[in-house]
Amino acid sequence: MNKRFYLWGGALLALTFITFIDLAGDWGRLSGGWTNLKRFFSESLWPPNWSVLEAQSYPVCDASFDFMCSVAWIGMWETIKIAFVATVLGFLVALPLSVLAASNLSPIELAIPTRVVLAGMRSLPSIIWAVLFMIVFDVGALAGIFAMTFYTVGYLGKLQFESMEGIKNAPLEAARAMGMTRSETAWLVAIPESANNLVSHVLFMFEYNVRHGTVIGLVGAGGIGLYINTYLKLAQYDKVVALLLVVFVVVVLIDALSMMLRAAVTEEGDVERPAWSSLFLPAAISSALHPTPMPSVSAEDE
Amino acid sequence: MEEVLVHLHDVSIGYDEALIAGINVEIQAGDVIAVLGPSGIGKTTLLRTIAGLVRPLEGDVELGVPSRGGLGYIPQRLGLVGNSTVRTNVEMGARVGLSRWYFPFLPLPAQQQRYAQRAMEDLGIAHLAEQPVRILSGGQQRRVATAKTLAQRPKLVLADEFLGELDDDNVDIVMKTVRSAIEAQNSAMVMVEHHEELAKQVANRIWRITDHTLVEEVVE
Repeated sequence: MNKRFYLWGGALLALTFITFIDLAGDWGRLSGGWTNLKRFFSESLWPPNWSVLEAQSYPVCDASFDFMCSVAWIGMWETIKIAFVATVLGFLVALPLSVLAASNLSPIELAIPTRVVLAGMRSLPSIIWAVLFMIVFDVGALAGIFAMTFYTVGYLGKLQFESMEGIKNAPLEAARAMGMTRSETAWLVAIPESANNLVSHVLFMFEYNVRHGTVIGLVGAGGIGLYINTYLKLAQYDKVVALLLVVFVVVVLIDALSMMLRAAVTEEGDVERPAWSSLFLPAAISSALHPTPMPSVSAEDE
Repeated sequence: MEEVLVHLHDVSIGYDEALIAGINVEIQAGDVIAVLGPSGIGKTTLLRTIAGLVRPLEGDVELGVPSRGGLGYIPQRLGLVGNSTVRTNVEMGARVGLSRWYFPFLPLPAQQQRYAQRAMEDLGIAHLAEQPVRILSGGQQRRVATAKTLAQRPKLVLADEFLGELDDDNVDIVMKTVRSAIEAQNSAMVMVEHHEELAKQVANRIWRITDHTLVEEVVE
């Protein structure tokens, strides 16, 4: 058993190495790479240019606080709004589709074509959807909303139908024996039974869409990515780094909020309330800082 | 003339191989049938076959009850929706008394709400109506499952070890409520039960499964 494991493991590593060498091509190109990177970092990227947090003459803004007229705020706020609308719209479309795609709720003749549609929506990355919708709606937030919604439907639909397929069989059997219709079973049994997972997936998707707002903005579909793209074209990399740090902070905050909400909707004891350190530190370090107490066993439990 | 609710003609049940063969029985209105036998002999499979969840290997199961709402099934694991409230679960039973075209997201008409409320009161769980089922004890969940079936007002109740986890007082309350509902609606019940003494107290017919056959025993 062990011998075979090492043999196959060794073969896999060898294949990976050979493929890597093949793809890397001319190693000479790497000479000076590290020096170039260090120079680029110290001369162009660092320190970040925090003028992105100051009110600017452009874009036009009449907000009461100066900060709200900064590029960082305007761009980030638009990204959050795009992500929010796209996540809610995507969820509303994905929910009925996931019921149709779940093999324990729908006949297989309906489930398979629905899965193919969901896979199709998912197979195009959101950046390609953004390009397609920009052809329709021109540059701006609307293209971003549609691009994210399409991708969200594909992604969320898959996560949700898998959750629905994972629910316990007994409530479904009781519903079938009673003569409940498929729509009653979906609405009254499958959706409430998988509700914790559904909420968790929607929150994850919102966070994912905020992160992805940066990427689709790069092609002109609105949000903070639009400004990042502008600064990239102007070679103002220090401003790009400042905006990316803003995105990082916002994503960390949304992640924290999402984890707290997910802990609230998950059954007691299933998921522990996350420690703040787990947002920033690797799991091993975080768990060392916040060790999980051993479960206590009382005489009554035995 | 007795009303026949289910007729099993030469039925063999099981999955790959027959667990019980040559079943020829009728279930009539007013029957309370206890199915007895050791574990793994096919008692649950018999209930699932009558419920239409498993096809018989041979023979016919002829149902004389409506396909919607006519049959109430309490599986061993109760089949409740843990995240929903007690009321929502119980009202699910009352809902199948309505047309299949009644939208599932519409609230129930007043009469069905009364059926659900009455069932919860009869089983002593009305004070838990707004609690999610998952936080209730095993015994309370069994009463919720029973209330759901009573609110349905089915012609035939199939119950798989639904008296387990209930203390003596609660067994009395549950069985008294179920029996009076069966008498009032002229319906019937088939229950799988491990506790033979308990089964003999509440049933008026006994089916014993032994050596791949179903034998009807005379109740003393």
